[in-house]
Amino acid sequence: MKKISRLGAEARLGWALVAPALAVIALIAIFPLGWTFWESLHLHELRMPWLGKPFIGLANYAEIARDPRFWAALGHTAFFTVVSISLELLIGLFLALAMNRVFRGRGFVRAAVLVPWAIPTVVAALLWRFIFESQGGILNAMLVNIGALKAPMVWFIEAKTAWVPVILADVWKTTPFVALLLLAGLQNIDLSLYEAAAVDGANAWWQLRHITLPLLKPAILVTLIFRTLDGFRVFDLIYVLTGGGPGTSTEPVALYTFNALLQNLRFGYGSALSVVIFAITFALALFYVRGLGVRLGGEE
Amino acid sequence: MRTTLGLVACACVAACSSSSGKHETVLTFSGSALGAEGTLVAKQLKRFMQLNPDIRVELQRTPDDASQRHQLYVQWLNARVGNPSILQLDVVWTPEFGAAGWVLPLEKYGPAKSEFFPATMAANTWAGKLYALPWFADVGLLYRRTDLVPREPQTLEELVSDAQRTKAQRGGPRYGLVSQGARYEGLITGFVEYLGAFGGRIIDDSGEVVVNRPEAVRALEFMRDELYKWNVVPLDVLTWHEEEARFAFQNANSVFMRNWPYAVGAMSDTTQSKVIGKFAVSPMPKSGTAANGHSTAALGGAQLAINAYTEFPDAAYKLIAYLTAPEQMLERARAVGQYPTRPGLYDDPRLRGAINVPLENARRAIESATPRPVTPIYTELSEILQIELHRALVRQAEPRQALDEAAARINALIERTGMRKLMRGAA
Repeated sequence: MKKISRLGAEARLGWALVAPALAVIALIAIFPLGWTFWESLHLHELRMPWLGKPFIGLANYAEIARDPRFWAALGHTAFFTVVSISLELLIGLFLALAMNRVFRGRGFVRAAVLVPWAIPTVVAALLWRFIFESQGGILNAMLVNIGALKAPMVWFIEAKTAWVPVILADVWKTTPFVALLLLAGLQNIDLSLYEAAAVDGANAWWQLRHITLPLLKPAILVTLIFRTLDGFRVFDLIYVLTGGGPGTSTEPVALYTFNALLQNLRFGYGSALSVVIFAITFALALFYVRGLGVRLGGEE
Repeated sequence: MRTTLGLVACACVAACSSSSGKHETVLTFSGSALGAEGTLVAKQLKRFMQLNPDIRVELQRTPDDASQRHQLYVQWLNARVGNPSILQLDVVWTPEFGAAGWVLPLEKYGPAKSEFFPATMAANTWAGKLYALPWFADVGLLYRRTDLVPREPQTLEELVSDAQRTKAQRGGPRYGLVSQGARYEGLITGFVEYLGAFGGRIIDDSGEVVVNRPEAVRALEFMRDELYKWNVVPLDVLTWHEEEARFAFQNANSVFMRNWPYAVGAMSDTTQSKVIGKFAVSPMPKSGTAANGHSTAALGGAQLAINAYTEFPDAAYKLIAYLTAPEQMLERARAVGQYPTRPGLYDDPRLRGAINVPLENARRAIESATPRPVTPIYTELSEILQIELHRALVRQAEPRQALDEAAARINALIERTGMRKLMRGAA
């Protein structure tokens, strides 16, 4: 009896101690989310006060479902996420394996690798824009010089070629981050496993497949979850590089939402789009955590 | 001792009255405080206060970037904020603000409508009421290298053949015509000029969407052919805004350029321009093949309107009338080169030295100026058109198909926003 009440008291104390943190979460995460959802159930166009602000149920969501521009944007986002993350994982793994070796100047290399990651996205995007600029862009000049191109080409007016700078810029900027996450995972692997395998005659490829990759799985999955969520919300990079063009061929959902919400000031519809993006990223996170068993906490 | 006390009392009365704001009329004017523009506005506001000692005007700094300023205004007005008491509107915003009830109709103050260019009046009128007075006008101009093409082209077709011929000459410029083709508002202003040249409209007087009629399709086909068939416009233009075009022209890389009057200044600057004394401006020509085509310039510029939530609408109008009076417009033209909106001033010798182009050409351009569609839903309409025009110009879609799509989406927009009903009420 006494024990139970003591437990109860401890639990109460525990709740009391986390209450401020919960209150902050409620204030900065749950409340705005709820508000956005409530807003998404209304017709609310800041520019058209004559429409009032009637409750329209799920009509905004129905409009999203019928909107070809939204579906196209979703496709662009998925394409961007899959392609850029695949490249980042491949190159990042290679870099991490290299950095994990003992060599002179390793500390310097590890620091240097982080430089692109440290550059603000907007600046990096502008940099890549200048590189790919049709007139006076360094890439065109180089390609013309070596004879790969007859005349400078305009990268940003065709959907296929407009994706090139976008994906390159993202890979260039984010691979270091991926590499460092994977490097941290590599350093947790017990070296004696490799020694034992070597004694048993396993070659490097076999070691990579049967020791490194399986033991690296948690780190890979954590990387995937971070990068997928980032990729799905990509905005600044594309805003600066292509503005979503040509036409709307490189427009991601976040840019479309920004447009509806802050350019056209369609608060109801824009809020509905925000809720949809939130739902998709949340579902992806759930899938990773539950489906693939990513452990974000420390418990093993 | 007594005098000191008296002085303190006076100071207190003055301070208290100004802070309570009840006894004094305080206006806030929204604008830029930067550079020559900032100096000019400060000077004119100061003079206004000397003439009207009972009114104090404060300058409220707002972003120079139009879409940022627009977003701020809309947020403030939704919250019914009375400041700034005088709003500086882009020419395409007036109907939106008027229909929303955010700015006051000006009829009761008896503005002298006939003293302004008719196009500027039309652009500021919604549902039969005038909501703003034009402060200065911006018009699309055709810049031409007079050393290469001495005679002004009379038709678009002539422009293309002039450009082709000159470009092909040995040592001729790399480009025939440069303009603004990125997917943004500038693309619409260019399109409006071609559209007018072929006798098309976006929305007709009865409010019907006519942007997919044959004239409009021909105009867009012409723009596309300039890029791909006649090769007079470089593909780079499809990512260009005003400044890229200006750089190309002032570096002597193009025969023609479509741009706004602001570029004249830089083009006459010895430190950066290679075309000093070798260029002229004129309105964009009409098409020689279209029966109803006419030379058309897109109309831009800033308007002044009264915030509907201000405490002092009468004083606000007084200030607007002052700033749009001939003297202030002339001073503005001299200080920052912006075009007056009063045709009368184009006969005034004082304007001659103020803007660096022959007055006759400037006047012809403004007289051919055409407002973009005057409708409260302009911004979204423009976004639809920007996307579809760009799709046609980068050859993702045929011009006819792109304009059909644009028309369908603009019609859906009109339905969704209740504009049809609003327009009937307005008519």
